[in-house]
Amino acid sequence: MSGRGGRGGRGRGGRGPPTNGRRAVAQNSVPWTMDSDIVLDGKPSEQFPPYNVPKAPILTKTEEKQVSCFLLFREQCQDSPLYTQARSRAQASSTARTYGQEQINKRYGQVTKATVDPFTAVPMYSHKFRKLPRTLPDLGSRPFAKEFFPPELHSTLDGDDELAGPGTKRRRVGPKTLGLSNITSYKTAEELFLPDTQQADSGANLNKALELLNTVEKQNEDGKEAYLSGEDDDDWVRGNGDEDEDGDVEEDDVYDDESGDDYNAEQYFDGNQDDEDYDEGGDDGEGFF
Amino acid sequence: MLVTKPIAELCALLIDELHGELPSRIFAMLLSKGRSTVPQLSQYTSMTPRQVRHGLAVLQQHNLLFYHVDPGAELAFYEANPDHAYNLVRTGKILEMIDTTFGAPAKDVMQSLLLSGQTRISDLVAAYQEKIEQANKSAPGVGDDGDFGAEPNGADGDSQSTKSGGPLVKSTAHLNTILCRLVEAELIDVVHAKSFESSEDILKTVEKEVMAKYFPGGVKGNKAKAEFQERIAEGLRKVRGESKSLKRKLEQNGTAAKRRRLLSGISAVNGVHDEDMDPALDPRQVIRINYEKCLVDLRNRRLVQYASDMIGETTAYVYGVLLKLLTKDLPRCRSDPVMDAEGDNEESEKGPGSVTTEQILDNLKTSVDLSLGIGKAERRHISSTAAEKIESFPPKKKRFIEETEVDGEASADEDEGDDESSEESDYDSDYKAPATNGTNGVNGTNGTRVKFEEAAAPKERRMDRPSMLRQHLLILAESTQRFVRHCGSNEWTVDFIPVMDSLREAELDSVIERTCGRQGLRLVRILRAKGKLDEKALPNVALMRKPELQQKMLEMQTAGFVSVQEVPRDLKADVKKSFFLWFCDVDRSYNRLLDTSYRTMVHCVQVLEALRQKERDVLETTKRTDVRGREKDTMRKSYYERYSRFLDCERKLFAQVMRVDDLVSVLRDF
Repeated sequence: MSGRGGRGGRGRGGRGPPTNGRRAVAQNSVPWTMDSDIVLDGKPSEQFPPYNVPKAPILTKTEEKQVSCFLLFREQCQDSPLYTQARSRAQASSTARTYGQEQINKRYGQVTKATVDPFTAVPMYSHKFRKLPRTLPDLGSRPFAKEFFPPELHSTLDGDDELAGPGTKRRRVGPKTLGLSNITSYKTAEELFLPDTQQADSGANLNKALELLNTVEKQNEDGKEAYLSGEDDDDWVRGNGDEDEDGDVEEDDVYDDESGDDYNAEQYFDGNQDDEDYDEGGDDGEGFF
Repeated sequence: MLVTKPIAELCALLIDELHGELPSRIFAMLLSKGRSTVPQLSQYTSMTPRQVRHGLAVLQQHNLLFYHVDPGAELAFYEANPDHAYNLVRTGKILEMIDTTFGAPAKDVMQSLLLSGQTRISDLVAAYQEKIEQANKSAPGVGDDGDFGAEPNGADGDSQSTKSGGPLVKSTAHLNTILCRLVEAELIDVVHAKSFESSEDILKTVEKEVMAKYFPGGVKGNKAKAEFQERIAEGLRKVRGESKSLKRKLEQNGTAAKRRRLLSGISAVNGVHDEDMDPALDPRQVIRINYEKCLVDLRNRRLVQYASDMIGETTAYVYGVLLKLLTKDLPRCRSDPVMDAEGDNEESEKGPGSVTTEQILDNLKTSVDLSLGIGKAERRHISSTAAEKIESFPPKKKRFIEETEVDGEASADEDEGDDESSEESDYDSDYKAPATNGTNGVNGTNGTRVKFEEAAAPKERRMDRPSMLRQHLLILAESTQRFVRHCGSNEWTVDFIPVMDSLREAELDSVIERTCGRQGLRLVRILRAKGKLDEKALPNVALMRKPELQQKMLEMQTAGFVSVQEVPRDLKADVKKSFFLWFCDVDRSYNRLLDTSYRTMVHCVQVLEALRQKERDVLETTKRTDVRGREKDTMRKSYYERYSRFLDCERKLFAQVMRVDDLVSVLRDF
């Protein structure tokens, strides 16, 4: 192509008679030599042409309700003692293709003490509000119908499935009870956007809610432990007047009753001896939780 | 359920979503490797046995496993229960359904039950007791601001219970009532020793027992084989029936009607209700959700929606009532081929029974205006014989069933109080063919196809309620979808198999139309009607130009709706000479559609996961205990907006999953 073009250019410059038939053909058959006013569209083709993306119809009322039910259920599930929050999967490699089980297994167990991000791992004030992920389900805290489990799991169900070492401590005391989730609603985007409509319902209570909030804040300033430890939660939660508020804080006290205040983040940071329990490859966690 | 790769992936993702990573990994491994022991699992997943045991315990608690322990053996073999895992996606639907049919407290109980998996009744009661007490305790604490505290429980008899915040379940007696109702509806059943054996294991055990008991010398001859099968089916039925023991006990104790009256009293009087009349459930029993029955109820809803789409809302409402009555004792959507095949004395084999018009009438809400959705036609436009035709047998393809015309039909028409009834019965005895005759119309009200005639007689306008109901039922019976079969005079039943077939076909049609357009759908319908069609003959039949047609057919072939078969004309199999037959294999289309649906669902959940990754920093903030519940106040605006956008996406994605699940359930489970 390029050779041909060069020859054509020379031909145009020379203006001489065609020396052979081939050149004449080349000169005449090339469109841009004959048609000088043609405008070539030099733009590259559009990389992302407009595409009519099919859009799902908006949710009907029933569907809204179903989704809300599911999401609420999920929230409750994730708050139950059987849920393991800890993700051991390194997220960066998650898109990589895997061949075979070994590679899949290697994706997990990546999040350990050795892989923490040094920038966020330094204890910060806000960490005291963070919920510690559980690496193993907290089986010891609730009753099971053991006759329907194979015998080899029975000790696991009691929470006795500790490592054989003599240093393992038993922290679980008190009766096992089936805790019901206290999460009663799931926040939808609309509720988030329109918090006023909710409060309008309980318009008269708004002032009281604010009052209570104030007292809570005062308590907080005074450094009262009660703020998060779960003693005062009921007042605090209900005081907000928002049905969505009774999430974590109230739920803390369910666990507190039976797990010796394990969830109290303050205690975690105060008592340093517990630090060792955090996530030793997922094995030591049980003693702590 | 045939577990393909997308289903396995979907199940693992669902468990990951609801129960965490650990159980999900184990479940995925169980699905891919089949039944395994703890050491095996620990080797496959390279986790410690302790982790595996914890994960297995969680799975078992949530009814997601089968296990089998050989007598004397130490290790148990675990197997995944993909059905239950898949049903996790229906949780939202089931809860919503219970909320609508049984009320919010029942939903609360069911949710707790789902949350805790299989539960001993005493534990559940204790948990509720604690919650109620807690609510009571906190009530006086914030007593000064009435509405903020927990709602007073039933003893206080206040009308605030509808407000959120208070316990939905007022007392343990209330809980007991709810449980009784759910057990009666079979939505909850009892866990028994064999609940966690896989169906193959149960079959093996029963086979062994039958062999040892009845056929010690082996099964010889056709007769013995039949008996052997019969005995096995019986044994299996017995095992299956064990989970209904609680319901049977309830039925022995009291009549359902009594309880129903009681329950209406509860809803009216919030305060003191005498729930002591409900028998206390055995606290030692362990209960769990019965997905099979839930599916039956979900199918009812789907059918009502179908009827609503096809005919009209009022008719669909009537249909809903009919279905509810009909499926009260229907344990599952699809009968088991082994257990229900020859069980001649079991009612489930005989279909759902029938419901009379009066029963439906009793269960209709009086607020529903039945006159809506019925058209009027002149009497000469209507063949009442055809409309009132009674089919006492379900439609079967293999043998021709004579349309039995029963004389009792005349009595059915007596509702309308006409002197023509005698004339009609005469007519019925003479004729079989539904001929249009001016003399035989009864009042012209049987115009089940909606024809609006302004000049209808005033007498026809004021139909009484029963006859209006009848009109609705006749519309349903006459529709092409065969929603209802008029199986006896004033008796109605539903043949689920043909109705579901038509629903399935409708679903497939709409999918074809969405993917290949109306032309494609038309071609598929032609092929369905004609069977296999030669490539050369198709343009003539379809009245389309050949290139267009070929393009369309190829498009549909790639989408999997039609296939082509090559039939050589001679031994050489010359391509130019051979026939190419287009045909559409409906079952294959269904399977392909199902597969695509699973993939779509998997994709939705994966997209959600990717979104979570993207918004990781925001989500981590919202998980903090001081932020949670007060996102708007505590978060920065840009963060907050990202968070709410994420929530929106999440809802949409889950809604999409549930919609796809609608399709899956129609194609596979209903």
